[in-house]
Amino acid sequence: MSAHADSHDHHHEPGFLRKYVFSTDHKWIGIQYGVTAGIFLLFGFYLMMVMRWSIAFPHEPLPEWMSWMFTDTWKSRWLQDGKVTGETYNMFGAMHGTIMVFLGVVPLGFGAFGNYVTPLQIGAPDMAFPKLNMMSYWIYLAGGLVMCCSFFLESGAAKSGWTNYSPLAGIADGQVVNQWLAGQTQWLLGLVLLITSSLLGSVNFITTIINLRARGLTWMRMPFFVWAMLVTGFLLLLAFPPLEAAGIMQLMDRVSGSSFFMPSGLVTKAEGLLEISGGGSPLLYQHLFWFLGHPEVYVLLLPAIACVAEIIPANTRKPLWGYKSMVYGVLVLGFLSFIVWAHHMYMTGMGPAVSTWFQTTTVLISVPSVILLTSLIISLWQGSIRFTPAMIWACAFLPMFGIGGLTGLPLAFNLVGLHLHDTYYVIGHFHYVVAPGILFGLFAGVYHWYPKITGRHLSNFLAHLHFWPSLVCMNLIFFPMLTQGMSGFHRRWYNGGDAYLAKVPDSPNIFGSTVAEHIDLNILMSYAAWCMALAQLPFLINLVISKFVGKKVTSDNPWNATTLEWATPTPPGHGNFLTEPVVYRGPYEYSRPDHDEDYLPQWIEPKRTSPKPDEKPAESPAH
Amino acid sequence: MADSAEDIKKAFRLYILVGIVLFAGTLATVAVATVPWLDVGKHGFDTADLVLGLLIAATKASLVAAIFMHLNHEKPWVYWLIGMGAFFGIAMAALIFLAKFSPIHYDQFNDGGQGATTAVISD
Amino acid sequence: MEIPYVVTPRKDTGLFNSKIAIWLFLASEVMLFGGLFSGYVFLRIGADYPWPERTLPVLPGLLNTFILIASSVTVVFAWASLKLRKWVQFQIFMAITVICALVFMGFKSLEYYVKFHHQAARLVDYTMVEGHIDHEKEAGHGEGHDEHDASLVTDAKGEEIEMNVQRFQPETISFDLLRVYEPWVEDMLAEASAAGASITLADEINLNREGESDSAKQFAAGEALSLELLKKIAKAQTSNHAFNQSQRTEYLREAWDLKWDDVKSNHLLGEAAFVAAFPAGSELEPAERAKAFKRWKAGMRANFATDVTIESVKVSGGEAVPVLLDGKKFAEIERPEATAAVFKVAPGAEPLNLRFKNHDVLTDYRDGLTSISLRDGTTLAGKQGNSEMVYHYVDGIDFQYLVMQAEKKGIEPLVAIENSWIIKNNPEIAEIWEMHQQGVRLLADELSKDGREPTHKDRYRMGWQEIAYYTRLIDEGKGVEDVEIDPSAKTPPREKMVMTEQFMGPDYSRHHFPHLAIPRAEVAMDSKFTPKWNTYYAIYFTVTGLHGLHVIGGAIVLGYYLLFGRKMYLSNPEWLANRVEVGGLFWHFVDLVWIFAFPIFYLM
Repeated sequence: MSAHADSHDHHHEPGFLRKYVFSTDHKWIGIQYGVTAGIFLLFGFYLMMVMRWSIAFPHEPLPEWMSWMFTDTWKSRWLQDGKVTGETYNMFGAMHGTIMVFLGVVPLGFGAFGNYVTPLQIGAPDMAFPKLNMMSYWIYLAGGLVMCCSFFLESGAAKSGWTNYSPLAGIADGQVVNQWLAGQTQWLLGLVLLITSSLLGSVNFITTIINLRARGLTWMRMPFFVWAMLVTGFLLLLAFPPLEAAGIMQLMDRVSGSSFFMPSGLVTKAEGLLEISGGGSPLLYQHLFWFLGHPEVYVLLLPAIACVAEIIPANTRKPLWGYKSMVYGVLVLGFLSFIVWAHHMYMTGMGPAVSTWFQTTTVLISVPSVILLTSLIISLWQGSIRFTPAMIWACAFLPMFGIGGLTGLPLAFNLVGLHLHDTYYVIGHFHYVVAPGILFGLFAGVYHWYPKITGRHLSNFLAHLHFWPSLVCMNLIFFPMLTQGMSGFHRRWYNGGDAYLAKVPDSPNIFGSTVAEHIDLNILMSYAAWCMALAQLPFLINLVISKFVGKKVTSDNPWNATTLEWATPTPPGHGNFLTEPVVYRGPYEYSRPDHDEDYLPQWIEPKRTSPKPDEKPAESPAH
Repeated sequence: MADSAEDIKKAFRLYILVGIVLFAGTLATVAVATVPWLDVGKHGFDTADLVLGLLIAATKASLVAAIFMHLNHEKPWVYWLIGMGAFFGIAMAALIFLAKFSPIHYDQFNDGGQGATTAVISD
Repeated sequence: MEIPYVVTPRKDTGLFNSKIAIWLFLASEVMLFGGLFSGYVFLRIGADYPWPERTLPVLPGLLNTFILIASSVTVVFAWASLKLRKWVQFQIFMAITVICALVFMGFKSLEYYVKFHHQAARLVDYTMVEGHIDHEKEAGHGEGHDEHDASLVTDAKGEEIEMNVQRFQPETISFDLLRVYEPWVEDMLAEASAAGASITLADEINLNREGESDSAKQFAAGEALSLELLKKIAKAQTSNHAFNQSQRTEYLREAWDLKWDDVKSNHLLGEAAFVAAFPAGSELEPAERAKAFKRWKAGMRANFATDVTIESVKVSGGEAVPVLLDGKKFAEIERPEATAAVFKVAPGAEPLNLRFKNHDVLTDYRDGLTSISLRDGTTLAGKQGNSEMVYHYVDGIDFQYLVMQAEKKGIEPLVAIENSWIIKNNPEIAEIWEMHQQGVRLLADELSKDGREPTHKDRYRMGWQEIAYYTRLIDEGKGVEDVEIDPSAKTPPREKMVMTEQFMGPDYSRHHFPHLAIPRAEVAMDSKFTPKWNTYYAIYFTVTGLHGLHVIGGAIVLGYYLLFGRKMYLSNPEWLANRVEVGGLFWHFVDLVWIFAFPIFYLM
C-alpha cells in the first residue's frame, strides 16, 4: 500500500546545517519552535516585570536589577529620570501581548508540541510537507525578529496595544518621516510573516492528519491530542486571513496615506487636521481583527487541553472519560468560535439584533468548553492516580482553567460589558486562562514528553520547586485583578491608578476612593510576578541539566502509555518507526478487565488463540 | 486524479466550450453596464445593475470552479474543505453587515448615530 | 519509511497530499479575499463622500479579463497534455499561460502608472479638481503657462518640479538633532549652493561643562551647515543626555531612599499618623475605618511623589533635605544639553526659496505664516513664498462632493456651485460649466422620454471627455447654444475616446484643457490617484495589487514547471502532472478573484 514515492531517500548523512539548522524533520523543527518560543516567552515575561514596576511604584526609577542590561543611551530615550514613562509602558504592554500570544504560546503549543507529537501519534514518518514545515519555522523566526528588532528603532516598537486598533495604530509613530522605519509599521510586517508561517503550518497539519494516518487508525481511534491539533489547524487556516487583510489595509494607511480605517475629521496635536481623505471606518478594523482574535484564543487553548488529555489517562490508568463527547465538543467549539467575535466589541454601539446574536453564540460556546473540562475532571474519578510532575501540572490546569472560564462567562453579556469592558477584570480573566491555565498545560506536556525526546527524565525535585511557587504566585498575581477590575480599575493604566486616586480619606471623589481601596494590591501582585520569575529558574536549569545527568529511561514507554508515540525508539530516528505501525484499538485502553496489564497500547497485535489443526492461520494484518 | 485518456480527450472540447461561454459572459457584463439601451432599472448605476453584474460573475465563477477546477467530480473531502471556506467567509461578511445595519440609535448625534463625527486624538 | 500518498491517492480519502493542501490553501484565500471584499462593501456603504462610480477606463480591465480567462483555459490544457504524456503540447500551453500572466501584469502596470501620475485635489469648498501638475514650463523667469517651446521648471539638481509645493524663504532654520531627516538637509544644501546662499550656525553651541574644553563638544558660530556637523552635534548631545539621565536616575533613587527612610523611622504610614491626620476616623464602624485607613495610606503614598524631587526631599517636619551624591548636588554635575541646532540663512543674489511637499509640512497652511514646522521636527522662520498649486492641465472637475455637503445644509446645488471658488475665480471654467448645464438640460430632456433622470454624476461631474468637448466648442468660437448631445449615448456631451486614450488617459496634444493656479489656502487635501486619494482607490489598489502579486506568484510556479519540469517528467510524469494540476488550481482561483474584481471595481 505504501506508494513508492521517489526522491525522499536520505541514505547519506546530512551535514550539520541540514541536520540541525535547516532540518526538515518534524521532531527537530518542533524542538526549534519550542526553544525559540521559550525565549520569546521569557522576553515577554521580562516586559511584564517592568510594567509591573511602573504599576506598583509609578514614581520611582526602575531598580538596577531590572535595567542593567540596557545602554545609557537607550535608557535616556525611554525612561524619564529612570522612571517608566507612559509611552514606554504602552510600548512594553503592546509588545508583551503580541509576543506572548503570537511568538510565545501559539508557537509553543501548535508549533512545538503539534509538530513533535502529531506525526508520532498518527504513525506517520513525518509531516506531509517537511520542507514547508521548515519554511514555517524560519518565517516564524523572521517575523519574531522583525518585531523584536523594532525596539531599537528611533520610534521604538509598536505601542498601540496588542490589538493595534486604528486610528491610533494608523498614526502612532507618525513623527518618523520614513514610515517603513516606524515600529508600528514593522509590527505589521512581522505580523504578515507570522500569519504566513501559521498558514503554511496549518495546511501541513491538516493534510498530515487527513492523509497520513497509519493503517487501522480510524478517526475515532485517534488520540484526543490529534483531534485538538486538527481543529487548531482549521482555526488558524480560516481565521488568520481576515487579519492579514486588516494588516495589509493598516499598512497601506501608514505608508501610502490611505484611509481604510481613518474616519473623516481626525485631528492630532502634532498635525492639526490630518491630510487624509477620511471616509474610512475604525470599526472595520475591529471586526477583521476580532474575527481572528476570538478563534485565536482557542488556538491558544486547544494544544494545552490536548496535552492534558493525554497526560490524565496515562496517569490515572483509566480511559479518558467521554472521549466521544470531547471529540464532538471540540468540533462544535471550533465551529462556534468563528461566530462569537463581537463580544469583544460590545461597547462599539451595536444595536440589539446583532448583540443578541453574539451574546447567544458566546453563551452557547461555553457548553463545549465545559464538556471538555468536565470530561477531564471526571476522568480523574476512581483513577489510580500517579502524581508524576506532568500529572501535577495537568491537575492544576483543571481548576485554574476553570476559574478562567467561569470568570469569562459574565463577560458574554453586553450589559456586563458596560461595567467591565477594558477593566482589569478582563485582564484577570484572560490571564487566568492563559497563564495558570494554558501554560500549566504546556508545562505538563514538557514534563510528559521530555523522556521521549531526550531519553532522560526531568528531575522530580526541581519540578516541584518549579510547580508550587508558580501555582501560588499565579493566583496572587491574577486573582486580585478580578477585584480591581470590578471596582473599575482600567486597563493600560501605566501608573496603576495613581492618577485617579483620591488624595484625602473623606474625598467626595468616589471613584478615587474605590481606587485607593484597591491600589495597594498592585504591590502584592508585582512582588508575586517577580517571584514567579524566580520560580522559573528551576525549570530552566532542569531542562538543561537533565539532558546530561537526568535519570535515564528504562524503556521506550516509560509512562506505560497507550498511544503510538511510545512505540518509537527513544529518541525517535529519521522516519520515526522501525516498522510501519498498525493500529488495532482505541487510544486509551487502560485497565481492561480482560487484560492482565493495566494498559494495552494501540499498536499491539490482538492475542489470538492457537489455530485448530484444520484452520488456516489468520492472515497477518501487516503489509 | 485517475482520469483516463478517453475522459481527458473529451474534456478538451468541454474546456473550450466553457472558455467561449466565459468570454461571452465577460462581454455580456460589459455590455449590460455600458450599452445605454441595456441599462436595466434607473438610469445610471442602481441595485438592478448590481444584482445583474454579480449574477453574471457568479455564473462565470461557478463554471470555472466546476469544470476547470474539476469540482463537478471531486472527492467529498474537497467539498468539505472548500465548503468550510465559503461558509465562514459568508458568515463573516453577513455578521459584519448585521453589525453595521444594527446600530444603536442615539438621537444626540445629528445623524442618529449612523455616521462619522470629528474625533480628536492627542498625539 | 517514505512519506506516502505524494503521487498516488490514499484509498479512503481518494486524494493525494498536495491536492488536500491546495484546497486548504484556497479555503484560506477565500477568507483573505472575502475579508477584503467585505471591507469594500463596508467602505462603500459607509462612505461619507460620493463613491466614484465607473471611474476607471473599461478597456484595459476587459482585455485583462480576456487574457486571464484564456490563460485559465490553456493551463487546464497544459495539465491534460501532461496526463496524456504529450510533453511538447504541455510546454506550448504552459508557455501561453505564463505569457498571458506577463501581459496581464503589463497592462496592470500601465494602468497603475497612469493613475500614479494623475493629480487630484479637494478644495476647501469640496470641489474636486483633477489633472496634471507636471509638464509645467518656464516662461522667462519663474513658472508659467503651457508654452510648448519653453523648457520645464527644474530644481537645483535639474529634476523637474511639480507645481504642488509649499515655498518658504527661511531666515533661520532650527533642526531637531535626533530626528532630522537627512535627505531634506541634502536638498536644502543643494538649493542653497545653487542660489549662492549660505546656511551657518547662528550661535555657538558649547556642550562642555564649565572648566572642560572637549573640542568634539564645541561648535563655533558661523560654521557651515553640513550633515557631518549635525551628526557631530547630535553625538555630543546624545552622550550628554545619556549622562544626565543616568545621573538623574541615581539622584532620584537616592531621593526616594531618603524619603522611605523618613517614612519608616517616623512611622508616617502608621496608625498614629492616620489618627492625627483624620480624627473623624475613630467615629467610623471598624469596616469603614479599615477602608478609610487604606484610602488614606494610598493617598499618602501618592503624595510622597510630590515631596520627592531630584534636588530635594521634603521630610516630616516640613524641611527640605537636599539630595547629594558624593557630596554634590545634581546641578553641579549636570551637563549642558541642546536638542535643537539653529542656523542662520544669508541669502545670495536671490533669496533662498526652499520647496517642501505639502505632506511634509505639519503646520496647517495659512496665508502669511512666518514659521513652519516639518515632519522631522525642523522649524523654519522667515517668509512664505508662492505656494500655489498649479495645474498644467485640468481634465476633471467634480462638484458631487460639494453638492452633497450643500444638500446636507439645505442649500440648492446649483447655487452652491455658482459660489464655489473655481467658478468665481476662473472665467474659462465658468464658461465650461455654463455649457455643461446646457448639456445636462438636453440630457434630461432626452431621458425624460423614458421617464428617467440624469444622475448626480451626469449633472455635477465634468470628466475629461466633457471638458475637451466644451473647450473645442470655445476654440471654434461657439457658445452655450451650440452644445449638442448624442441622444443614443444617454450621457452628457463628450469627445469620443480614441483607443490609446483608454489606456493612457487623454491625449493632451489632441485636446485643449484649462490651466489653473489654485492658492494653497483653497486646497484642503491633494493626492495623486493613489490609495491616499479616497477609500475607493485604496481598496481598488489593495485588491488588484494583492491579486497582481498572486498572478506573479502563480506565474513563477507555473514557469518553474515549464522550464525545469523536464527532469521530473522523465522520472515521474504522474508526479509532475499532479503538481501542475495543483498549480493550475491556484491559477484558476486567481482567475476567480478577477472575475469578481473586474465588474466590482471597473463597472460599478
